[in-house]
Amino acid sequence: MYNPMIAFVGLSHLGLLYATATAAKGFKVAGFDSSEALCEELCNARLPVSEPGLPELFERNRERLDFTADFSQLKECSLVFFALDVPTDSESRSDLSPLVALLEQGAGHLAPNATVVILSQVPPGFTRPISKGVLSGVRTVFYQVETLVFGSAVERAMNPERYIVGCQDPAAGFPALYGKWLEAFGCPVLPMRLESAELAKIAINLFLVSSVSTTNTLAEICEQIGADWGEIAPALRLDRRIGAHAYLSPGLGIAGGNLERDLCTVQQLAAQHGTEAGIISAWQLNSRYRRDWALRLLHRIVLSQSPDVRLAWWGLAYKQDTHSIKNSPSLALAEALGAYLKVGYDPQVKSLKKGVRNLELAATALDACCDATALVVMTPWREFRDIDLRRVRDLMRGNILIDPYGVLDAEACLAAGFRYFKLGS
Amino acid sequence: MLYHHHTKPISPKRVVILGASGFVSTALGRHLKAAGMEYRSVASSEVDLTQPESVAQLGAIFCEGDAIVMTSGLTPDKGRDVGTLMKNLSMAQHVGAALEQSLCSHLVYISSDAVYDGRESLIRENSIRQPSDLYSLMHIAREQILSFTSAKAKTPLCIFCPCAIYGAGDTHNSYGPNRFFRMASKDSKITLFGEGRETRDHVYIEDVARLLVQCLMYRSAGTINAASGEAVTFHDVATRIAGLIGPSIAVEFLPPGGAVTHRQFDVTERVRAFPDFNPTSLDEGLLETLTKVRNP
Repeated sequence: MYNPMIAFVGLSHLGLLYATATAAKGFKVAGFDSSEALCEELCNARLPVSEPGLPELFERNRERLDFTADFSQLKECSLVFFALDVPTDSESRSDLSPLVALLEQGAGHLAPNATVVILSQVPPGFTRPISKGVLSGVRTVFYQVETLVFGSAVERAMNPERYIVGCQDPAAGFPALYGKWLEAFGCPVLPMRLESAELAKIAINLFLVSSVSTTNTLAEICEQIGADWGEIAPALRLDRRIGAHAYLSPGLGIAGGNLERDLCTVQQLAAQHGTEAGIISAWQLNSRYRRDWALRLLHRIVLSQSPDVRLAWWGLAYKQDTHSIKNSPSLALAEALGAYLKVGYDPQVKSLKKGVRNLELAATALDACCDATALVVMTPWREFRDIDLRRVRDLMRGNILIDPYGVLDAEACLAAGFRYFKLGS
Repeated sequence: MLYHHHTKPISPKRVVILGASGFVSTALGRHLKAAGMEYRSVASSEVDLTQPESVAQLGAIFCEGDAIVMTSGLTPDKGRDVGTLMKNLSMAQHVGAALEQSLCSHLVYISSDAVYDGRESLIRENSIRQPSDLYSLMHIAREQILSFTSAKAKTPLCIFCPCAIYGAGDTHNSYGPNRFFRMASKDSKITLFGEGRETRDHVYIEDVARLLVQCLMYRSAGTINAASGEAVTFHDVATRIAGLIGPSIAVEFLPPGGAVTHRQFDVTERVRAFPDFNPTSLDEGLLETLTKVRNP
């Protein structure tokens, strides 16, 4: 049987996940990236991203995965995904220049009958001009919404809830290979105009942000009035208008980069088109305030009480099951407490490109606790649940345990002699 | 955001306090003296900042490397009219002009929490500035004038916004702890509007002075609110004061003066800027105040 080659151009987290999932569905995949070194690493099955289940899935489908920096081979591919993750700056503004450069680099090598799908996180209004400009030489250009989540990206890539596809002409249907590819994932496909699809991705993220912000606002009130958000959230999940999978766990604001980017994009669009978007600023403010929950608590119960402070620091990644530290509340807190000695441990983050003052990294979670005044659990890694809390307490000088996400068993912490603090109660 | 020009505390060559007899200026002078820091107070009797000649007079006082703290101002009890506003603006104009002609290292402007729109549940440094009267307009305008001139003079500016200050030596009689102490000692009762349910943050004068010293030592630039982070109702304050003075003090109520409003502060910025700064608890501050009032 003829098994055509499907190309993924740009092999950051997004491209690599979709390339691997595509291979797992039985397609032959060619991954392209400007970096020869990266392609060589991937050819040797050394993955630059950490994602649960990815190494195994990659290994199982390795025979259908090939990687190259030679863009001339793109002409062999009739379906080409551009999937470079769009970076953001410190203000969460998208930097589209690497993606545009990649499109320009790839465009000259595309077959005239190629179908191009842009998977990257582009703002509304990006794809149509590109289809008439850089990509004017190809037959059809689509924009497909990606909704991967760091830490569960393999599951979401393999079993998507739906595919949202922006089309130049939504009534025209899909080219055969792209249609076959969409069908392989067995989920509903929603074709719509390009601009709708581009905004649909942002719409999804803004609804998530609204849940997160509402949860955090109410969780703080719980802390003040003696209510427990943990008792309230199950009631909300049973409400069909809110839903079983709603984001109802209190957290330290919005992190990771993607949600922040979409907030920034909507602010820019609103300013450009003169629409009201005050709620976006409110969400951003709420996020920044909530991010500092542990800072305020640490100041109140630790820093203002003792001059000799040493903090044990579990978790550096912005969330569990990822190595990403983008907008990580843990690092924001560590930077705010630059004057204090912190000994950190994270299962995935073993070094930091940009150092944090007075932050040392320990080899194990227990090593980080030696002689500590307080322990803060800033990333809810599941493996922290298995650590012997009595041993932790014995190693520490103080008895403060701050566990915002409630990853540890509260009763066990109290039984081990800790003063225990978590969000929402 | 507050930005420190020094990563470690360093005393400025000299601190010049504009205003010599006010609540904040005297407390600051006391703390600077205790810290062994050189300072000089400039009283209105020496330099009348409302007058144009004050520019030259300040120019003669300011030395290279001086840190200037501007506490001077005509407070609402001296007048709430347009004339008072214009005099206050003239003061800022003249200080700014003197600053432009000197090589001062730092300017700290004592503003007020009156600059903030009080409708937010938590006031923070980037809260909306919204004048509600000529006094708050004065502070907002002076912040702008001094921001402009300090930028021109390339002198770091710290805008310091205290909430309601209490403590011994207060020269004003605004509604709150100090007036409650006076009521209690004079009339053996504290009278509250409504049931005193409004929540406010009261910052102790010694904390204000300590925080100012920190800003001077770190040569901090930006805006910082001086608040305790512990807001309580007026009724709570009155009850605590009555409890300190003795059982003979009654707390009584007058008809409500209007809608119940609350004013609380998010102190995260202060915690981030000065993590080892620990504000005095209200109980401690009230007790110290009473002790100092009784034994001046």
